[in-house]
Amino acid sequence: MQALPPPPPAIVAPAPERSVGTVGQVRVASAMTDARVMIDSSFRGASIVVYGAVFNPTERPADVVVVVRGPDGPVRLVKKTRNMGFWLNSRPVLFEGAPGFYMTASTRPLSDIADFGQLRRLGVGVDHLRIKAPQESRAVTRYGVRDVVVSRLGEDYLDYRRAVIRLREAAALYNTDPDGVEFVDTGLFRAELDLPAVAPTGQYFAEVWLFQDGEPVSVSNLTLTVEKGGLERDIYEFAHRRPWSYGVLTVLLAALMGWGASRLFRRD
Amino acid sequence: MDIYLPIAEVSVNWPLLVLLGATVGFVSGLFGIGGGFLMAPILIFLGIPPAVAVASQASHVVASSTSGVISYTSQKAVDYRIGGVMAFGGVVGALLGVELFRYLRLLGQADMAVAVSYLLFLGVIGTLMLYESLGQILRRVRGEVLPHKERRRPLWLYGLPLKMRFPRSGLYISAIPPFALGAFAGVLSAIMGVGGGFILVPAMLYVLRMRAGVVVGTSLFQIIIVTAMTTILQAGRNQTVDIVLSTLLLVGGVVGAQYGARLSGRFRPDVLRAVLGLIVLLVGIQMGLELFVRPSDLFAFAPGVPE
Repeated sequence: MQALPPPPPAIVAPAPERSVGTVGQVRVASAMTDARVMIDSSFRGASIVVYGAVFNPTERPADVVVVVRGPDGPVRLVKKTRNMGFWLNSRPVLFEGAPGFYMTASTRPLSDIADFGQLRRLGVGVDHLRIKAPQESRAVTRYGVRDVVVSRLGEDYLDYRRAVIRLREAAALYNTDPDGVEFVDTGLFRAELDLPAVAPTGQYFAEVWLFQDGEPVSVSNLTLTVEKGGLERDIYEFAHRRPWSYGVLTVLLAALMGWGASRLFRRD
Repeated sequence: MDIYLPIAEVSVNWPLLVLLGATVGFVSGLFGIGGGFLMAPILIFLGIPPAVAVASQASHVVASSTSGVISYTSQKAVDYRIGGVMAFGGVVGALLGVELFRYLRLLGQADMAVAVSYLLFLGVIGTLMLYESLGQILRRVRGEVLPHKERRRPLWLYGLPLKMRFPRSGLYISAIPPFALGAFAGVLSAIMGVGGGFILVPAMLYVLRMRAGVVVGTSLFQIIIVTAMTTILQAGRNQTVDIVLSTLLLVGGVVGAQYGARLSGRFRPDVLRAVLGLIVLLVGIQMGLELFVRPSDLFAFAPGVPE
């Protein structure tokens, strides 16, 4: 008599597709519901679902972190200071590059998933966001304006950095959701990516990290393109490629409408 | 009901914009002004980036002034000669103003310049209008006789060279003061997004002492040229003109302006001026408030990052 086979598990997980070399390996696979977002006249923002599967043959629990970065762009920031009773702007500080969109969604708060050093190294989380500023402080002439500080600001640098994040968070451009990754079934997760109407156009990069015992064990990369479509793109490109003709057209349209209205109402 | 504005890159409720255009158009028809000073602050309040708001609504001023000039021309109430001199000044002023605004944006001081200009000019003009019109209403109610107005022009107007004859306005003066006045309005047009009627009309009446009947028509003519120029320059230099935004405002604006103009005959001019003075003053204070109130966030993004 042979021994009875062990009792089946309570929930039978669908057997993951096994290909050579991945058997027994902890791995994450993911996809998005849309790889392309078109901004048209009715655009009010978009909601995209990042979903995927975790293959975890080990006993140790794993955490999923979804990071989405929008295109980098320069950011200028002013600080208001009180001078003789008036609130005035300081000289603008230029950060040479900050992502135009940044969100993280995870199964737990990031600080519980991995330690500070690990998150900093991977650039995961708004606190570890790489906002590019040149290494040393210097005032230079830029775009015809004198004394622009293009730099780290010493002690103030952190205040400015935090302000970039705070202002972007207020505009729903930066977001941290510690419960954003939801397991819908064993090994199957989803996270929502909400793009506000002000989201910049360009190429977005998403990383889906799998952490185990505070270490990244697997990553899956995705891209998303946000672009203006249809008439919106035509108008935008017209305004930027032939700005003078665009201006003349706007004025002619306005004059024509003013003239039309006065004709229309005189007949009444 | 929301529409995405391609240049402003925000999504707004479009019926609200048409309604706003109609309301401002109505006010502009009622008081015979461009209404730009009212439109820009409301657009900024709605979340349109200030640079786009200021540049796009200049074309609204073009439209409402066009229908105004057409009706004034048929009444022979436009002095194209002095208007042309002022418009020439205005174009020069607009050129300077757009460059100045561009520079201020790079310095991160554009919003402050807008706030100061509104507080200063609207505050002063609003106060003067309110004071003058309330005095007039008070005298009328008491049944007093209006004091005889001094019809003398400031003497320095005669000392300047380049004299020109402006028969329709009843003037024989140097071309420099109207040119300078036009240039000043042009600078304001670029910075505040206004036509400048609230500065031009009192200056033409009380400084140049033009014939009262041609003042409004002529100022509207100058405003069309200057705001048209400003729109083209803002589009060409700063790419801040949103044609979708300006068209939506126009649709409401041209209709509202016609109804406003019809209604204006039913009110006494001094009452209209008092109400307008009050509106001007309130807008100026509202816009200037940010200079005095502690901001909720000490940091702010400075727009105008060059590509």
